[in-house]
Amino acid sequence: MADVVLSILDLEKIYPGGVHAVRGISFDVHEGESVAIIGSSGSGKSTVLRCINRLIEPTKGVIELRGKQINTPNADVNNVRSRIGMVFQSFELFAHLKVLDNVTLGLRHVRGMSKSDAEKVAIEVLERVDMLERINAYPGNLSGGQKQRVAIARALAMKPEVILFDEPTSALDPELIGSVLQTIRGLADEGMTMVIVTHEISFARDVADRIVYLDNGKVAEEGPSSIINEPKTDRLKKFLSSMHEDKIIENVKKES
Amino acid sequence: MAARRVGVERIFSWSALDEKTRVGLLVCIFLMVAVAPAIGQSIESGWEFRESGTEQNLNTAVIVEHDNTKTIWVFGNQGTMLSSNDLGNNWQLHEKITDSNIIASDSYAENVVILSSDGGVFVISENGSWTYLGKIDSTNELTDITIISEGKSGIIVIGDNGNIWKSSSSSTDDDVLEWYQASNPLDSKLLDIAFLDNEKGIIVGEEGTILYTEDGGQSWDFRESPEETRNSDLVSVGFYNPFRMFAVSSEGQILSSTTEGAINWNLVEIESHGYDTSLGRSINSIEVVSASIILFAGSNNYLSVSLDGGNIVETNLIPQDVFSSFNDHAMIDYQKGIVVGDNGVILWTDTSGKNNLVGFEIPDYNNFGDFVEYSDDMLLDGFKATVKIVGFGILFGFIIGVLLAMLKTAPATLKSLIEGKPSIIVRLVGGGLSITGIYLFWNGFRGFSELQLNGIEYIFTPVGDPHGFALFGIGITITFLGILFISSDGKFSKIKLGPLTFDPWKIRPLNSIATVYTDFFRNTPLIVQFMFIHFGLSLGMEAQAVYENIIGPIGNDGVDYFLLGESAFISAIFTLGLNSGAYQCETIRGAISAIPSGQMEAGRSIGLTYLGTMKLVIMPQAIRICIPPIGNEMVNLVLNSSLAMVIGYAELSRQGRLIIAVTFQVFWAWGMVMISYFVVTWTLALLLRRLEEKTRIPGLGISGGS
Repeated sequence: MADVVLSILDLEKIYPGGVHAVRGISFDVHEGESVAIIGSSGSGKSTVLRCINRLIEPTKGVIELRGKQINTPNADVNNVRSRIGMVFQSFELFAHLKVLDNVTLGLRHVRGMSKSDAEKVAIEVLERVDMLERINAYPGNLSGGQKQRVAIARALAMKPEVILFDEPTSALDPELIGSVLQTIRGLADEGMTMVIVTHEISFARDVADRIVYLDNGKVAEEGPSSIINEPKTDRLKKFLSSMHEDKIIENVKKES
Repeated sequence: MAARRVGVERIFSWSALDEKTRVGLLVCIFLMVAVAPAIGQSIESGWEFRESGTEQNLNTAVIVEHDNTKTIWVFGNQGTMLSSNDLGNNWQLHEKITDSNIIASDSYAENVVILSSDGGVFVISENGSWTYLGKIDSTNELTDITIISEGKSGIIVIGDNGNIWKSSSSSTDDDVLEWYQASNPLDSKLLDIAFLDNEKGIIVGEEGTILYTEDGGQSWDFRESPEETRNSDLVSVGFYNPFRMFAVSSEGQILSSTTEGAINWNLVEIESHGYDTSLGRSINSIEVVSASIILFAGSNNYLSVSLDGGNIVETNLIPQDVFSSFNDHAMIDYQKGIVVGDNGVILWTDTSGKNNLVGFEIPDYNNFGDFVEYSDDMLLDGFKATVKIVGFGILFGFIIGVLLAMLKTAPATLKSLIEGKPSIIVRLVGGGLSITGIYLFWNGFRGFSELQLNGIEYIFTPVGDPHGFALFGIGITITFLGILFISSDGKFSKIKLGPLTFDPWKIRPLNSIATVYTDFFRNTPLIVQFMFIHFGLSLGMEAQAVYENIIGPIGNDGVDYFLLGESAFISAIFTLGLNSGAYQCETIRGAISAIPSGQMEAGRSIGLTYLGTMKLVIMPQAIRICIPPIGNEMVNLVLNSSLAMVIGYAELSRQGRLIIAVTFQVFWAWGMVMISYFVVTWTLALLLRRLEEKTRIPGLGISGGS
C-alpha cells in the first residue's frame, strides 16, 4: 500500500457557542488517492476540511501530514498550508489581480520565486486547467466555471502534497459544472492526492477511490466507491435516495 | 500577449479627459496664472542725499521741537554745527563755538546739549544762542552725553575707565556747573547712554558692559550680557519702552531685552542671516523707533533696518555716489528722519530706510485691480503653503490611517497570545508583569499625590504629571495582564461580576491601543490640538532641535529647510496627519471589513502570513473600495488646514487676514481666499476621481460614480 499522506485521528470540533460539529472522526489519505467526503448539510464535512489546513483549530484530535503532527502550536502553519492546496466553494480568487497574477502570487511571495520563473509555472498549470487564453483577464470578467478552474490552478501551482476541494461545484450553474469536474477528474487520473467534499454523488463514485460518508459529525460509513451502489448502512441509503430524487428532478429539468 | 498594464498607465492624459474635466482644468490653470506673482519690479534706495555744505565728518544728530517747529541739529568734527528747520531739505551752517570735534549730543524738550572731544559741554538756550557749561576735568576720554530733565542739572556724561559724570543739581550758578562722578561698579570704557524717561536709563560699553539705573543715574547696577558678547564692544543702545531695549555691538551682534528692569539680555538669532548671531558688519549706532523697528548705521556705507526686532534685517541700498561711514540717526517719527556720516553726508528717509519698490503707482486698494496686484503675491505664498501642508498632511494621515486600521482589524487576542505556550512560562511571565506593573503603578501614584488635587481635579493629572500618569496607566494595564496570566489555567474562563460577564481573553491589545488613539483624536477639537501640539509640546521646535543635534544646522534653503525650516509647518503637518489618520482609520477599517472573509482564508491557504495577506490581498482591494470616502477625508483635511493659522503658519487663511490688515478690503480678500481653497479641493477631488477610475477593477466593489 502507498504511503499515508494525510492522517486524521479522533478529530473533534466544538464551535464557540457550543455547536458540536465534528465528534471524533478518523481516516487516512494515501499517496495518489482521492477521497470524497459526502454527507448532508451540517454533517461536518467542511469543518473537517478546514481543520486539515488549520483555517479552523480543532478542539481535539491529531492531524498528521506525512507522519508529522501539524495541529500543534509549534508547527509552521504557513509552511503546512503551502503544502496543502485548497479550493473553495466560492472560488475566492483575488479580485484585484489578473488570472496570471492570482496563480503566481503564492509562488512569488511564499516560495520566493522570481517573476519569470513563477510565470512559467503558472502558464504550465493554467494550460492544465485549459485557461491559457484568459490569463490577462480579471476574475470579475470570468464565468463561474472558469473562476473555479483558475482557483484549481492556483492551488496546483504550489505543487501541494494534497489538494482539498470544498464543494467545488456547488456555487456553479449546472451547465458549468462539467468543465470543473472534468478538470478534477484529470487530476485524479494524473495521481494527485485529493480530498473532495462534494454533493455530486455520481462524480464521487466515478472519481474517488474511497468514499467517507459523514453523518452528524461522525463517520457513518467508509469504503471504496462501490458503497454508493451498495450502501451497507440505512443512513447512507436514505441519504443516497434523497440525493437520487434530486438527481431525477434535475434530469427532468435538463431534458425539458 | 496583448497585456495592457494598468500599473504603468498614466493617471492623466489630455485626450482621455471628458469635456467637462478639460474646461475645469483650463479654469484652474487660468486662476493660477491670475494669482501668479507680477514680475519686473525693481527697488531703489529709501534714502535721499541731502546737501550739507560741509566736508567734515558728522558725528551726531538730534531733533528739538520749538514752537511746533522741528529743528534737526547735526554736529561734527572741528566744531561743525548744522541745523535744518524744513525736515532736512536745507541746511544752515552755524558759527563755531569750539574748534574741537563735537562727538555727542542729546536733547530734552527745547534743550540741546553737546559734548566736545576736549570735555567741553554746551547747551542751547531759548533764544537760540549756545551757553558754555564748563569743561569736565577728566583725564579719560569722554564718549557720550545725555540730558534727562529740563534745565542744566540733568546732564550725564560717560567715558573711558568707567567714568560717569553728572551735573550737580545743587548748583545755583547758571553758567558753570560742577561735575561729580557717579558711582560705577566697573572700569571698562563706556560707549553709549540712553534714557527712557528721567529715571530709567542704560549705559553700554566695552567688554559687554551693560549698566542700568532706576534713579536718574544716581546709582548704576550691573547687568549680565549674553556669554557670546562678553568680549564685544557694545557701541549703541536704544531704550524704547520698559519692555523693549536693544543694544548692538561693533561686530553687529544684536542684543534685546524684553524684561522690565533690563534683567535679561538675549542675543538675537538673525533669521535673514541664516540664524547667525551677527550682521557681519561694523556697526556704529542703532536707533529704536518703535517696539520692533530698529535702524542700524555702520561703517563702509552700511545702513539697514529690521521691522521685527532684529529677526529679519534688510540691508538698505545707498544712493549713488555716496560713500560714508554712518554715525548717528535722528528720527522725527518711525519713518521720517536723517542719518549722518563721515565726509559731511546727510541722508533723509521717509520709509524708515526701507528700499522703495519702483515701477508701481501708489496702490489704491479701493480699485480691485490694484488690490489684486497687492495681494496676489501673498495669496500665492499662502496657496503654496497650504498645498505644502496639505500634501504632507495627506501622506502622513493616510499612513497613520492604514496603520491604525490594520491595528484595529488585527485578530490577535490575549488568548491567542498565550495559547499553546507552556503554562509554567505563562505564569512566570505573569508574575514578572505583575511585579513590574505594581512598581510602575505605585511610582506613578506617588507622583500624583504630590499634586495635591481634590476629587474631580484628578482628571487633569495627564497634564499635571504626564510622566506619573503614564507610569500609572501602564502600571495598571501590566498588572491586569500579569494577574490574568498567573490565573490562566488553559480554560480561558470569563470573569463574572454579578449579572455582568466579561471575557478578558477576548481583549485585542493592538485594537485597544488604536481605539484609545482614535477616541482621543476624534473627541477633541482640531484647533485645540493645533495649539497643544505647537505651543504646548513645541513639537516643531523639538523636531528642529533633534535634527540639528543629530545632523547639523538647518540651512537657509535646500531640502532640510523646505521640510524643517519652519517649526509651525512641522507642527501643522503632524497635527493634520495625526487627526486625519484617526478619521481615515475608520474609513479604511470599514473597507477592510467589506472584503469577504474568504479572501483572507484564500490568502492564508496558499501559505501567506497574516500580514502578507493583508498587504497583498486585502489592502489592495480595500484601498480601491475606500478611495471615494478617503477622498472626502482628504478634502476635509484641506479645509481643516485653515486652522493652522492659529499657530502662525502662513497658509491661505492667515494670508487673507494679513491682506485685510493692510488693505481693509474684507469682501475681496475673503472671497479670493475662498476661491483659492476651492481650486485646491476641487483639483484634489478631480485627481481622486481620476484615480478611482484608473484603479477600478471589474467585479470589485460597486463603483457607479464617474
